[in-house]
Amino acid sequence: MKPQEPIPHNYSMRGLNLIFALSSIGLLMATGLIVGYDYVRGWKWFQREFMRMQQERIESDLRAAQLETNKTQLADLDRRVRENEVDIARHRDQYVLAQKDLDRWEGEHYAADQDFRFAKARLDAQRYIAEASVVEKRSDGPRQLAEYKRQDRHFNDLVLRLQDVTRKRDAAKARVDVWLGKIKTEEDKRKELTASVDLLNKQLQTVQLTGPNLILNLPMLDFVNPTFKVDQVVLSDLFVDVNYMHVPRVDRCMTCHRAIDRPGFESKKEAARLTQELQQKLDSFQIAQEKRKDVEDRIAQLKRIEDAPQDTLNPWRTHPKLDLFVGSASPHPLLDFGCTACHRGQDRATEFGRAGHVPASPRMERRWASAVSTLLPGPWDYNKRHWAWEENPFNETPMYPRQYYEAGCIKCHSGQTWVDQGDEINKATSTVELYGCYACHKINNWRFTDLRRPGPDLNGIAEKTTPEWAFRWISEPHNFRSTTRMPSFFYQRNMIDPSVVPAPEREQNIRYQDAEIHSLVTYLFSKSSHRPWQPPAGAGDAGRGKQLVESVGCMACHIDSEWLKDEKSGQNRLARRDDYPLERNYGFNLTGVGTKTHAAWIYNWVKNPKNYYADAPMPSLRLTDQEAADVTAFLLTLQKPQFMTSTIRPPDPAAVHDLAKGYLVNTLSDRDAEAKLRAMPLHDQLVFLGQRSIEKYGCYSCHNIKGFEGLKPIGTELTVEGSKALHLFDFGFVHDYISAEDGKHEHIQDNVASWVYNKVRNPRIYDDKRTKTYGDKLKMPNFHLTQDEARRITMVVLGLTKDLVAPEKMAALDSRSRLMEEGRKRVSQHNCRGCHVVDGKGRAIASTIADTNFLPPDLSPEGSRAQSPWLFNFLKDPTVMKIRPWLNVRMPTFHFTDQETNTLVTFFAEEGKAAQFDTMRAMHLPAANVVIGKTVFDMLRCAQCHVMAPVDPENPPKPTVADTTSLAPNLTLAKLRLRHDWIADWIRRPNEMIPGTRMPTNFPRDAATGGFQSPLAMAIDTPQFAQYKSRLLPYFRGDEKELRRTMTDAVALTDYLRDYIWSIGINQMRAASPDGEVPTVLQPSTPATPAMPALKSGRLERVQAGRGGGR
Amino acid sequence: MMMKKFLNVLFAATLVLSVHCGKGKEASREEEGQDDQEAQTATVAATTASTAPVAAGGGAAAPVSADAATVTGVVKLAAAPPKMPALQMAADPYCQSQHTAPVLDEEVVTGPGGELANVFVYIKQVSGNYPAPSTPVVIDQHGCQYRPHALALQVGQPLQIKNSDATLHNIHALPSVNPQFNEGQPVQGMVSTKKFDKPEITPFRIKCDVHGWMKAYMAVMPHPFYSISQGNGSFTIANLPPGQYTIVAWHEKYGQQEQQLTVGAKESKAVNFTFKG
Repeated sequence: MKPQEPIPHNYSMRGLNLIFALSSIGLLMATGLIVGYDYVRGWKWFQREFMRMQQERIESDLRAAQLETNKTQLADLDRRVRENEVDIARHRDQYVLAQKDLDRWEGEHYAADQDFRFAKARLDAQRYIAEASVVEKRSDGPRQLAEYKRQDRHFNDLVLRLQDVTRKRDAAKARVDVWLGKIKTEEDKRKELTASVDLLNKQLQTVQLTGPNLILNLPMLDFVNPTFKVDQVVLSDLFVDVNYMHVPRVDRCMTCHRAIDRPGFESKKEAARLTQELQQKLDSFQIAQEKRKDVEDRIAQLKRIEDAPQDTLNPWRTHPKLDLFVGSASPHPLLDFGCTACHRGQDRATEFGRAGHVPASPRMERRWASAVSTLLPGPWDYNKRHWAWEENPFNETPMYPRQYYEAGCIKCHSGQTWVDQGDEINKATSTVELYGCYACHKINNWRFTDLRRPGPDLNGIAEKTTPEWAFRWISEPHNFRSTTRMPSFFYQRNMIDPSVVPAPEREQNIRYQDAEIHSLVTYLFSKSSHRPWQPPAGAGDAGRGKQLVESVGCMACHIDSEWLKDEKSGQNRLARRDDYPLERNYGFNLTGVGTKTHAAWIYNWVKNPKNYYADAPMPSLRLTDQEAADVTAFLLTLQKPQFMTSTIRPPDPAAVHDLAKGYLVNTLSDRDAEAKLRAMPLHDQLVFLGQRSIEKYGCYSCHNIKGFEGLKPIGTELTVEGSKALHLFDFGFVHDYISAEDGKHEHIQDNVASWVYNKVRNPRIYDDKRTKTYGDKLKMPNFHLTQDEARRITMVVLGLTKDLVAPEKMAALDSRSRLMEEGRKRVSQHNCRGCHVVDGKGRAIASTIADTNFLPPDLSPEGSRAQSPWLFNFLKDPTVMKIRPWLNVRMPTFHFTDQETNTLVTFFAEEGKAAQFDTMRAMHLPAANVVIGKTVFDMLRCAQCHVMAPVDPENPPKPTVADTTSLAPNLTLAKLRLRHDWIADWIRRPNEMIPGTRMPTNFPRDAATGGFQSPLAMAIDTPQFAQYKSRLLPYFRGDEKELRRTMTDAVALTDYLRDYIWSIGINQMRAASPDGEVPTVLQPSTPATPAMPALKSGRLERVQAGRGGGR
Repeated sequence: MMMKKFLNVLFAATLVLSVHCGKGKEASREEEGQDDQEAQTATVAATTASTAPVAAGGGAAAPVSADAATVTGVVKLAAAPPKMPALQMAADPYCQSQHTAPVLDEEVVTGPGGELANVFVYIKQVSGNYPAPSTPVVIDQHGCQYRPHALALQVGQPLQIKNSDATLHNIHALPSVNPQFNEGQPVQGMVSTKKFDKPEITPFRIKCDVHGWMKAYMAVMPHPFYSISQGNGSFTIANLPPGQYTIVAWHEKYGQQEQQLTVGAKESKAVNFTFKG
């Protein structure tokens, strides 16, 4: 063929080839880079490191296991196997002969077996033929029958032969087994010995990155079944809000946190804590016998961790509370709750930053943020815990920083007042309850609704104190009492601090603040009622009063000192609230009460606080007139004269005018406003301004003030504050500042937790460097919180989220729990824990009562202990029965409503898993039981402490002996008060029900079996007990053996004791009539000044118009 | 952005290469420095507890080195001894019947020269394991008083509690480290046995809830180097290995005193304590 003319073209083929070649190479490289980029993930490094850690651990276990394996035993076995093999070789001819014999007999056996089976089949067929021909009366009938009988005989011969051959074959086999069997048993023994080593070797293969594992993880091949893979848990009933819809959570945290559910990778600190915890449980028999071995193994494992040279670091640590979270047997297993349901964070993320990790402190933030280069993260940084971290403002659900972990409890546990084992969250919610955050900030959440007003009633303030005291109090409550919960509204940082407010503005602010305080005082006193309280008739004795205050129970809710010695410095300093248990902050600090108020008011208040204010939280201690006079005399001695010496600047009329006008111009023209003000004298202007100031500062949120009923609370609603996006928080311009509370430097981090924490600790801080008018400045008052208090309040705020949880995952939603939780809330609201132990916590009063014998009772077993009808009566009116008349501390009369009392009784009964009503009172007791019970009672000398004579439950005689420490309750009251079954249970194990109780354990547990032992088992045959023995024998029909057996049976003995105690019980007691306790309530007189007309403008009107008004 | 991706790819290569290196872990211990510190203290506490010998049972006394030293001395009260009140035993007629003369409270018991009895004297820390003797220490309730008033035993050594009175006693021990117990003994001559698993060097109180005046103090020691001062104020700690020690004297009313002490081989050293009162 003629070569073709090259087609002329105006481009260079060579150039094109080059471009094509280069772009091919480029594309190939790009593909490579894409594959590489897809392949390299940070989490793979963490997984590889974890595999390495596992490998190290298995290798060390392997070494230990190999050491443990009994070397000599192993060698001995090996030797014997070898010997047997040699033996067989040496007697080869015999062995071969035996084997040949076996082969022959195996063959014979097979043949015989076949014959037998065929014969059996033929016989069956012949039987049918014979039967059929006989029935059908065929002519060959007899012949067939004869043939059948012949075959049957033949078959029987074959059976015998088969049995014979089988026996011979087995004999031959046994002869061969003599040779082989030895080897086999020894090999089995060997396997047993090396089982643990073999297992570890197998495990080792799975965590080594060699062989098949290496290939499975290669790029492009890793789609099959790689060892490096993203792990996840899908939680279909816990949701993530992705705007407009909720999607199930998919937690991938365990992709890096590999050991989170595997015990054995705890930090040393955790290991030490867990060891101690478990050892304690072992020591106190809290662990079932069959589980003790497991617990001991776990302790050994933890001890190894403590002794290991290196500590395990995150992300490879085990969850520190596996018994509570993550663990499969815990109440929050990993597969049901995942991680982000509690911790928050981005559930699907697999990178450190994107997952939403939040540093707990500025120091941690600096470490996390540092990196060799933020562009090139890698092991060189990870090893130092440097994560090239930066705050991601677009992450709507960042994790809770470490000090706020428990915030995550709230979303599911908000229906509970008391979360079992949730010490931190319980303290946090109790702190919010104590400070009454819910009063100003609506929190639409069961836990924070239906609670009392945190502040006292102000409608009778003029009866209680003077305007001068009130002025100084409002100005700075902490100058009067360092522990008060009344916050400081005035003269705060954004008003007068020279470092943030310029001088001229400062002057003006002080005048304005003065004017506002004057207006508040004027308003409150002009509206107050003036009831004529009568002073005590006789003189009181302050010394006796002091004794009473310290002993009848006041100290459960009140503090009576303000100065104490600092443990660290040894110097005297002002007390803080957290120097005392939360419960003792429930009432106010008694110091200075004599300066604040006067004899007549105190006298009537301590007689019965409900006289002054129907909703007063303080109960009546049923003081007699003389006692009340003594207490009054003592409280009057608590003076703080220096507080009343500070100067009160008179209100500046110009400031009052300015401020009042500021409100008036909202609805009036400037001219009309001026005219209106000119017509008002200064007092009226102050009353007007006072009303507006109460609105402005929201005093009515905490205090009962007439005319402000039904107003919306002043503060921002906090119901879903924890879900609020970061950009909605006004950080202002402040990042670092010196806290006025403790002079420490504070750094505000760019996250919600830090914002809230600094807000509650220094509420006006975000006004720094802002230019605002007087009325626009931040108003939240300063509670002078300690760091811990601020942290706990922040924890609750962070926990109040809108995260959706399916009802099945919510805690305490069942009807029984709801009943209990309502009761728990009442327990918290009435501060029962001030005196009693409830749910294992409380009894704050204990620190003020020297002798533990005279403490109020522990109510842990109350539900199973007390009969509900009795409890109802007693709660309504504690005078119906005095159980321990020698106690100084008194159960007060709370004037509970029937409904409240029922709530409490139900709570106790449900908690004790007891029915509210039972038929035990009417139980018929066999006379023999009572006599035996009485004898056992005498033998155990119960009457040494317990009184047995029937008494009037209301007025039992005071004990005659000087030393009352050995007295125990009168047992004739037991039948009215105690549950039948509980009595026997209590006698058996008092120290288990109430640790530290004075009731001795008479039937100690056997340390080995945990069963009860009886002290009478041995004693019954001693001469001392001869009289008891002769008294008892007739009831056992003279059977000494049976008597002795009974004396060893703790359960039977305690049942007899119970029957005896039941038999001596009195049957009548008075029904509750608490109204007899309430003195006549005085009628309030009309206020001195006429009531203000309803507000014409401003906030109240807006509220009435139904539009509300958020500030 | 491109740059970042490119570098990430580089990182890929590094990661693959670094499969078998994992060094430089030491630096990472810096994490939560405070945690680590706490962890260390916790470990120390735990090991102290765990080195305590578990009930030895064998009763073989600790091996006594040939160099062992002896420390003896006298405890005195410098001030005039306070007048102890007479115990009011009227609440239980049996107790009253057991005494003809009034019985004084045993909080402070002194000899004629101010010698102070019932003082726990012990060596603060001694290394080594000391198996507990199997001979029991006995506390007797006799005449509604504890005999002795102050006692100490070793971890794992049995404590026999005896009631010699024909009245009900309950022995209520209030340790803070070991589990507390409260057992009734209604029968005369009754004996119960208890053991303590953990050392509790600061003595704890033992009381009877039936008879409020009955009190005793007891310590659980991890080693045998302790003594309780007698009526003449004297104490003896024998078989002490040579070394430097802190010796402590503890009294229920007058608190604690410490002295530094160096004993040589086979030395007999005298150490005296004086409480100011």
